[in-house]
Amino acid sequence: MSTQKTLLERRYATLGMALIAPTVLIFCAVIVYPLFSAIYLSFYSVFTPTLEGEWVGLSNYSELLQTGRFWNALGNTLIWTIGSLFLQIILGIGIALVLHQNIWFRSLARSLILFPYFISTVVAVLVWKWLFNDLYGILNHLLMKVGIIEFPMDFLGTMPNAMISVILVGAWKYFPFVVIAVLARLQSIPESLYEAAKIDGAGPVARFFDVTLPQLRDVLVVIIMLRAIWDFKEFDMIYLLTGGGPLDDTQTLPLLVYQEAFALNDMGMASAYAVVMMLIMLVFMLVYIRRTKDDGGV
Amino acid sequence: MMPTFKKILFNLFAWSIVLAVAFPLFWMLVTSVKPGFELFRRPPTILPETWTLEHYWKLLSETNFLIYFRNSIILSTATTLVVVAVATLGAFSLVRFKYRGRESLAFLVLFTYLLPSVVLIIPLYLLMVGLGLSNTIFSLVIAYTTFALPYALWLLRSFMAGIPEDLESAALCDGATRMGAFRDVILPQLLPGIISTALFTFILSWNEYLYALVLVNSDASRPLTTGVMNMLISSFNIEWSLLMAASVMMSVPLIIVFAFLQSYLTRGFGAGGVKG
Repeated sequence: MSTQKTLLERRYATLGMALIAPTVLIFCAVIVYPLFSAIYLSFYSVFTPTLEGEWVGLSNYSELLQTGRFWNALGNTLIWTIGSLFLQIILGIGIALVLHQNIWFRSLARSLILFPYFISTVVAVLVWKWLFNDLYGILNHLLMKVGIIEFPMDFLGTMPNAMISVILVGAWKYFPFVVIAVLARLQSIPESLYEAAKIDGAGPVARFFDVTLPQLRDVLVVIIMLRAIWDFKEFDMIYLLTGGGPLDDTQTLPLLVYQEAFALNDMGMASAYAVVMMLIMLVFMLVYIRRTKDDGGV
Repeated sequence: MMPTFKKILFNLFAWSIVLAVAFPLFWMLVTSVKPGFELFRRPPTILPETWTLEHYWKLLSETNFLIYFRNSIILSTATTLVVVAVATLGAFSLVRFKYRGRESLAFLVLFTYLLPSVVLIIPLYLLMVGLGLSNTIFSLVIAYTTFALPYALWLLRSFMAGIPEDLESAALCDGATRMGAFRDVILPQLLPGIISTALFTFILSWNEYLYALVLVNSDASRPLTTGVMNMLISSFNIEWSLLMAASVMMSVPLIIVFAFLQSYLTRGFGAGGVKG
């Protein structure tokens, strides 16, 4: 009986491996191989147009650490990530609390709030460039009408406007993710907790800090880690809004990799940037993965 | 009297926030139906005085928009079909089978789900050039699986874990094979999860920009994202109405999903990033 069971188990194991085989093959071909290839390339100097390379050892890495471009990009990446993430969390929690109430046409309101998250970054950037337009943009018109500014403002071409604009557009595009996640959690907080707090004489603000926020803690930690990882590697939005400019003032690490590989034509150096960027992200990624594991994930 | 007044006030407050968030999208729609001369009116008109569809007509008849649109449809559909088929089997294996290396595979999936595209872009570019596939839609399908497959696997894995095991065990006791039970018992229950994964994969592929920018450099196989962006960069004087019309048209599949299939999107949200 027992041998038969192990036979069946063995057959199941084989079937299981057969089912995962296509995934493993694709993973090896398009992810694992390129990943090691990127590390390998970072020890070379590769001229993009001819794709001819020569071994340079660790010199890409030492150059990277010595020149200002890497540190500048790292600083910009951190400013963008922290600024945008902060706004996303504040806006996300605030609007989730509002949408949690019983407002008119709630599902329509929810759809409208969700929409920016799902549209293409290209669409978001085009619309915002039109809103930011210096001559005919509605934002300049409104700001001048209210009297905040006297002359049209250059939103994307000067500092610190460019960084602030990028952070704001990023917050607008990605905060709905926080809304959805927080909203789902809010709906599962037992009503009895609020009633108990009410009996104890807690006002709305105290109820938020004593009941809501502690209940949201776990989900917020997950959201912050995920969004930090995603914001850190954001390419499309910043590249399309400012292209890293003015000068290199909004150039983040992903933009630096792209520029090095396809504008400055050194794929080896670009790979070194990419590898270092990945190492920095690895810290976040491992923390997130570990946490997921503890929650009975993986 | 007081509570109703408070309620109205709160509703006005809530809706002014919602409308402020949605304003850029409203403005995109309005700009796309304004005639050219009205665009430069000071002060700007909030609703167009005269409505026109001329920009849409121009977009469809005088630009490459329809080619890009077709490319995007082919690209996103192909990516979605491949990825969902492979990931459904893979998720079934990861959740319901026991074999060596399973845990490390699940770890690898989550790791690649978080991996930045810029790390893979250079080797993938070299690979496509080496295979002679650059400038083809097929090369983009391959590249898109790098982010779509881990994503779909991760979502489907969590949907699969939510299906109770007893029905499958009952089917096995009645003499069904594992694959028979998969087809007759698991697939029907997994269907909502598969639909929501397919929608997310389609939207991700539809919106992708970086791989399209690097791997494809010909109008014949350019998808919408890089194609429409090229209309901005290459135009001598920028026609904002035309670009807004393109933006609206580009969002049409999304609007359809939102109107009819929104519950699947929210479901995917619950299973994916958030619950982890």
